[in-house]
Amino acid sequence: MIHLKIDAVKPGMVLARSVYNQQDLLLLEKGTALTKKRIWMLKTWGIDRVSLKGRGQNDEPSVYEVEFETRESIERELQAKFADVIDDPVMQEIMKAAGRQLQKSLTDPDKQNETT
Amino acid sequence: MKPPDIDRVISRVEDLPTLPRTVLRITELVNDPKSSARDLARIITDDQVLAARLLKLVNSSFYGFPQQISTITGAIVLLGFDAIRNLLLTTSVFDLFSNRKKISLIRQEQFWDHSLGCAVAAKVIGNHLRYDKVEELFVAGLLHDIGKIVEMIFLPQAFKDINHLVKDKNILMIAAEEKVLGYGHPEVGKLLAERWNLPPKLIAVILHHHQPSAAGRFAFEAAIVHLADILCRSLNIGYAGDNKIPALDKPAWESLRIRPQAIESLLAAISKEFDDISLFITYTP
Repeated sequence: MIHLKIDAVKPGMVLARSVYNQQDLLLLEKGTALTKKRIWMLKTWGIDRVSLKGRGQNDEPSVYEVEFETRESIERELQAKFADVIDDPVMQEIMKAAGRQLQKSLTDPDKQNETT
Repeated sequence: MKPPDIDRVISRVEDLPTLPRTVLRITELVNDPKSSARDLARIITDDQVLAARLLKLVNSSFYGFPQQISTITGAIVLLGFDAIRNLLLTTSVFDLFSNRKKISLIRQEQFWDHSLGCAVAAKVIGNHLRYDKVEELFVAGLLHDIGKIVEMIFLPQAFKDINHLVKDKNILMIAAEEKVLGYGHPEVGKLLAERWNLPPKLIAVILHHHQPSAAGRFAFEAAIVHLADILCRSLNIGYAGDNKIPALDKPAWESLRIRPQAIESLLAAISKEFDDISLFITYTP
């Protein structure tokens, strides 16, 4: 588990602990994959730091490993989702294209910076 | 225990949420050829929240107007009456989503995201096919799964059982609904759509989004929303209640005449437009 300031959090990272606001209202459950919008939502609630899945050296954030995990999980999740319909060549095409699109939004620096 | 009969849901149709008065008045205005943009503006400016939402949306990159639009009349002239009605319908559906405390916040947010994602995807596909009323497609996408919300509110026990079955067996929500209830969210959604006096096209799309070829004269629109559902599920936009992709309806796909090479650019456009619009219509519990 790593702890990051909200400004360092990137889409695709997964929450290791649930996030609550000052009134103890559940905002996001642990295990939730963060998106640009969710990070923005956390900021608007004034959330300062979050705990994320992944490993870090001396508590330093290891963004590389987090991203690496996510890249693999994208493929895995897509294959599981499409398992029953993959005989259809159009579906194969959609799955491949979606995989490329999801990988792209993971690494696209423009997208990651646009969190406000 | 016997599952709740769809007739029983129908008998409680009086309890189903109605559209806000403002939206009803605006629907009347839109249908009246004598009404002007000024009449419409008067109703909207009476509702501060609505007015603010409209200006925010019209100035978002979703519409991509080059200049800042600062008046309601300006927004109406630019967007057109139909688009305004659809926008207001959107906000009403949105309120319906957020008024409920039955499921966790995250669940509701993701449900809403699936609907909004499908709306955006239907619009993107419509633009690609040069369909002339893409705003209608947007609303159709937004409403296609409304039956799930009705189930959640009116059939809470069955809804719980359905969700357990989806988790246990890893199947589509509609398959679990058939097992638990004997009918699915498309039939339930149709009830609400009729209650809301929505146009026949929208009712047909809601009822047939899993088998678009059965939608008769609205088969084309149903096919677009059917594909939109598949595409936004593949992009992990929101959560539709299960982790599966519905099978592609072959005749529907063929009727759209989309080249497989175009899928990638459609997905890219959906992804971008969804990011843009979801910042403007954000879920605030």
